[in-house]
Amino acid sequence: MFNSFRLSMTWLHTWFGLVLGFVLMVCFFFGSLSVFDREIDRWSIPQTRFEAQPMPSFDDLLLPIFQQIEPDKANYATQMPRLHDPAKGSMTSRLELPADRFWAYNTHRDPVLAMGVRFSVPTAHSSLKDMRIRGDVVVDPRSGKILPDDALRIGSAWFYPLHYSLNWSWKNLGYWIVGLAGFVMLAALVTGIIMHRKVFREFFTFRPKKRMQRSTLDMHNLTGVLALPFHFFFAFTGLVIFAGSIYLPVTHTLLKPIHDQQHLLEAERAGLPAERSGQPAALASVDAMMEEAKRRWAARDMAGDVGFLVVNHVGDANSFVSIYRAGSDRVALVGEGIHFKGNTGEVLYEEPPRSVVMSTNEFLTGLHLQHFEHWLLRWLYVAGGLMGCVCIATGFVFFVEKRKQQHAKVGGQGSRVVDALAVTTVTGMVIAAIGMLLINRLLPMDLAGKGDYERAAFWGFWLLAMLHAVWRSAAVAQAKPNPAWLEQCLAVSVLACLAVIMNWFSTGDHLIKTVFINTYWPVAGVDISLLVTAAVAWGVARKLAKRKDVNIGEHSVLILGESVRD
Amino acid sequence: MWLLSSRILAALLGGYACTWGITSLGIAGLVFLGVDFHDAEASMFMLAFLCFLGLFLWAFTVTSVTRVWLSLLGSAALMTVAAWLLQRSVLS
Repeated sequence: MFNSFRLSMTWLHTWFGLVLGFVLMVCFFFGSLSVFDREIDRWSIPQTRFEAQPMPSFDDLLLPIFQQIEPDKANYATQMPRLHDPAKGSMTSRLELPADRFWAYNTHRDPVLAMGVRFSVPTAHSSLKDMRIRGDVVVDPRSGKILPDDALRIGSAWFYPLHYSLNWSWKNLGYWIVGLAGFVMLAALVTGIIMHRKVFREFFTFRPKKRMQRSTLDMHNLTGVLALPFHFFFAFTGLVIFAGSIYLPVTHTLLKPIHDQQHLLEAERAGLPAERSGQPAALASVDAMMEEAKRRWAARDMAGDVGFLVVNHVGDANSFVSIYRAGSDRVALVGEGIHFKGNTGEVLYEEPPRSVVMSTNEFLTGLHLQHFEHWLLRWLYVAGGLMGCVCIATGFVFFVEKRKQQHAKVGGQGSRVVDALAVTTVTGMVIAAIGMLLINRLLPMDLAGKGDYERAAFWGFWLLAMLHAVWRSAAVAQAKPNPAWLEQCLAVSVLACLAVIMNWFSTGDHLIKTVFINTYWPVAGVDISLLVTAAVAWGVARKLAKRKDVNIGEHSVLILGESVRD
Repeated sequence: MWLLSSRILAALLGGYACTWGITSLGIAGLVFLGVDFHDAEASMFMLAFLCFLGLFLWAFTVTSVTRVWLSLLGSAALMTVAAWLLQRSVLS
């Protein structure tokens, strides 16, 4: 196997691609949904369906909110016993912790303003004195009202982290599995090119009418090669984003001394106080600082809005305010930070323009994280991500088609297992995602612990789909197609239509209203995408039903109509 | 089967160890040469995964698995020690 270069590369592509392909499917599909994560949030939390706002006044609106924020109960309960040093006195009660840092973050796609306070622990162990206890809220920036934040943000807090951590935080194992899958994606792309000597000729070959095995391979090559730069880029930048913190933490372990020394030098150069002075002092007008920051950005020919602001060492004479520009008009993330002295409002430090290396890095990671405002590009991202899904899914199908005759002859179960897993990760995953959205619209808005039910529904739907796929996969062991593909396509179709209907019933936001009467694209876009998904799934089901050798049940015939029997 | 598992482990773990060595030596070396710390970090993180990719594929092309293990772990150890020595001279 490893005697010939090309054969060993083929082996790598097949087996690593198969095993990690199941993970990659999740990354690509939920990554694609993450492009519109905030829009999915609006769909799933109807009370936040309003337009995005610029950063509101700090002095009038944000400051009173910051002063109301309390340390989070759960965070206090888990962190306090760990941070508290009994030798330094008794444990500070939750409401007496002093506020140390305020932050507020605003984006052009999210109408809800995120803000929070970091509280310091006066009796913390010396080695843990930089650790903070948090208190975070979400706010309606039009009124300054704190919104209840117990609803699960299905887009930005479930689908989005799923695509890079599998929502499995134990020992960061989810991140590592995704990292391995992303790395294998890079290897699969390179080995895929090596395997196909006639890659260019094959790129222009698509034989949809040929045998299943041949047309699947054509589709696999087409989607793989056409979007090759896209696939390579996303897998690569995904790894780079987490390189320093998770995958290659060299500067936090072996090279920590150099890291600490360089940070001290930088802090000295910038002249921003690292510690509190102990002298209390009032905070000057932060609105005036935001105005000055905007004036300075405009003077550098990059006029823009405030995206992120931090008040450090709150209430101390050493307090300083850092104001960052929103990155909605370009690829790289928030930046161009300007730092002001808290009690006077004078500029302490203006960050210099980035070096070539840093701007390259920011451009690459910014292209992955896409915080910019460019709707066409966003949809192209979705298209690229879904092409990745098609590429992986056709890879599974090709694997099964190539082997199932042989396995049926000798009584092997390999292709049956792969087929059942493929159904689970392709249609089963879509069922889980859409099922979760449907449950979100079925459960009452003020139900306590609603997010937990939604999470349970997500895994529950996925588990059901898996059981169904395994149960129906017996046909594959006889070299026949698994009817679960068809049946789950129908399930996707029905669930997606129900989700759109339930959104209408539960909120009154039907498509005619959200597109024409009272246009609100975040919700209309999710509804339209659900309907398109339903139509595609239904079309696929019909096409599958036309195959002579598939054993379809009565209920499927009922949904698809008698015509598929011809 | 044993040989195959050993090769897969060598490609993944040995390749990772070697990438770790390259990254640390790269960062320490660039800082030693006077490059800005964050520039050194960012450029090595971008290079690291491309190196890993090359090492990983290479591990499947060499006939002897022992050679794969020895060269990957050997160079990983050498580069890590070199990075540590360079760091000492930067700090002193």
